[in-house]
Amino acid sequence: MTTDTSIGSAATPHEPAGPKGAPPRPPAPITPSLSSAELRALATENGLTQMGVRPPFWAYIRDVYRRRAFIRVLAASNAYAKNQNNYLGQLWAVLNPILNATVYVLVFGILLQTTRGLENAIAFIVIGTFMFRFVDQSVNGGAKSISGKASLIRSMHFPRAVLPVSTVLSLLATLVPSIVVMCGIVLLSGLLENYMMMQVTWHWLLLPGAVALLWVFNTGLAFVMARVVAITPDLDNIIGFIMRFAMYGSGVIFPVTHYAERLPADVAAVVGPILTYQPIAVYLYLVRSSITQEPEIPPDPWMWVWGASWAVVTFVVGFVVFWRGEERYGRD
Amino acid sequence: MTESDLHMDVDLDVEFDPEDLESRPPVGEIGAPVLVVDDLHVVYRVIGSKGRQQAHGSGARTREVKADRPSFVRRLIGAGSQHVGAFTEVHAVRGISFAAYHGESIGIVGVNGSGKSTLLRAVAGLIPPHSGAVFVDGEPSLLGVNAALMPQLSGERNIMIGGLALGLTTKQVDEKFDEIVDFADIGDFVYLPMRTYSSGMAARLRFAISSAASPDILMIDEALATGDAAFKSRSKARIEEVREDAGTIFLVSHSISTIEAMCTRVLWVHQGRLVMDGPTHEVAEAYKEFVRAHRASDGPKRLGPKARARKAAQEARAAEQAQAAQQAEAGTDSAGLAG
Repeated sequence: MTTDTSIGSAATPHEPAGPKGAPPRPPAPITPSLSSAELRALATENGLTQMGVRPPFWAYIRDVYRRRAFIRVLAASNAYAKNQNNYLGQLWAVLNPILNATVYVLVFGILLQTTRGLENAIAFIVIGTFMFRFVDQSVNGGAKSISGKASLIRSMHFPRAVLPVSTVLSLLATLVPSIVVMCGIVLLSGLLENYMMMQVTWHWLLLPGAVALLWVFNTGLAFVMARVVAITPDLDNIIGFIMRFAMYGSGVIFPVTHYAERLPADVAAVVGPILTYQPIAVYLYLVRSSITQEPEIPPDPWMWVWGASWAVVTFVVGFVVFWRGEERYGRD
Repeated sequence: MTESDLHMDVDLDVEFDPEDLESRPPVGEIGAPVLVVDDLHVVYRVIGSKGRQQAHGSGARTREVKADRPSFVRRLIGAGSQHVGAFTEVHAVRGISFAAYHGESIGIVGVNGSGKSTLLRAVAGLIPPHSGAVFVDGEPSLLGVNAALMPQLSGERNIMIGGLALGLTTKQVDEKFDEIVDFADIGDFVYLPMRTYSSGMAARLRFAISSAASPDILMIDEALATGDAAFKSRSKARIEEVREDAGTIFLVSHSISTIEAMCTRVLWVHQGRLVMDGPTHEVAEAYKEFVRAHRASDGPKRLGPKARARKAAQEARAAEQAQAAQQAEAGTDSAGLAG
């Protein structure tokens, strides 16, 4: 026992002395039998590893890769749990984007005529809303992937990168059936008057590639969002506004570049390329050029280069950003 | 004081029948160090609260990071922004050092809010330390009060997720599935979402999952408190198994009898510091002495007339039981029971 009596006396200052005498005191804090240096020597001698420190980068990657079965199961469980409380269940994964697209087709396509100059506005808007939904959900899901799984994080020890990766993977799983519906709508829209008939061509084979690139890109975004929101929960509130801005700026429901051309020449020279080559616009371009024959959106190999570059850069940057916060995610 | 007094104390709940205490865990082989904690400090933040009074009242030492008392008019204007930018830091663990060895089962005792659970979670690597370090051999697995990993998913899914998170392969989890369900004794409930489980069922399932992976270090935070008697004896047997496989057990409990039945060593934490560390009987005695004194100093005020009547009845019953037990096992070692 030490002679550190200050602790003993501070131990129960707020407890009223009972009628039977003074409040009890616990023993004073003990001094450890081993000094700090001795403890550390003991740890290193026996090959113990330090907890709560960020693992080395490559070891971390290996660790995440080793948990791939865990990622798969988590993704499947998330996808299943999402619509479990509805009577229509998994059908909502498809119904929701259809309803969404209907609103935009009615408002922007038919009422406001913002899609003038396009041969098939329905195909344009439907592809835009279905694919943008994947980005939007990845950003929001990534933001909640750490904060929403507190119970799991607080009881198990595993590389946390598993969580954002599985979140986006589960979104991809629910995206596949809605892509089938999306292709159906694109083909059927040609039956209407004034809408160009789309053909199934060899370019359709590129669609999985475009979706895969978008998936990699979204995973990178989810990494960044997970870190940012885990550290500063407030930012969760402004994601909605940023994503709305991204939606109107990416040509999801009307070709935004048309409007950029109306700006003064010097402004347009800066804004135009940004709107064309920013990642979300690039991925929408890739999907549209693969499954429609819109004359304004011809297949363009350079857009594939852009798409691949954005995916790789975002993923790598996102992963590094996430890894650098690894030791802080348990904190609450 | 006699044993009967202890049993009524709210802080000394009986989780185990006194009979369980006879089968005291043998002092096993102590192996190499499995866990080294060096001057651990844990500070956590409570965002959006100015809860100094509450936190301080419970014995935690807090530091208000931003606190002022504006005038009435300013408060009126800023009614919507009352908690803007405010957060409280709670210094829950304040410099704890110890080393644990293979084959030990260590109990952690202390009054409410003394930092037991925080210490356990920090040692499990789930809360990063503010300063100091934790060194560990193998993967610790923590069983907390909040037992469901993913409450919206079925027990079946939770078994798979828990097993994979602990580092098992899908195949290994499949192999252990029946064993886990049998151990947890939840039958067909395993196919229902875990949010429909009673807290006892959830705790049983979680314990079954965590111990099935034969963890190097198993940490149990009050999780056994919700189980029934049959489960308690099963979990005790399972804990013995883990310990015999050279695993290490950490057990946080309010119930000193649980600790006495299961642990070979006890750490007593008070206000974030280690005040005692030693063999179970020594520390348990001292802790019981402290709790008893604590109760004597402010206990009577807490009891209303009804509670006092109940207490008297319980006292009589417990005294009877104790007498019977003493007669039955006269001569056997009953250290740690008699006050």
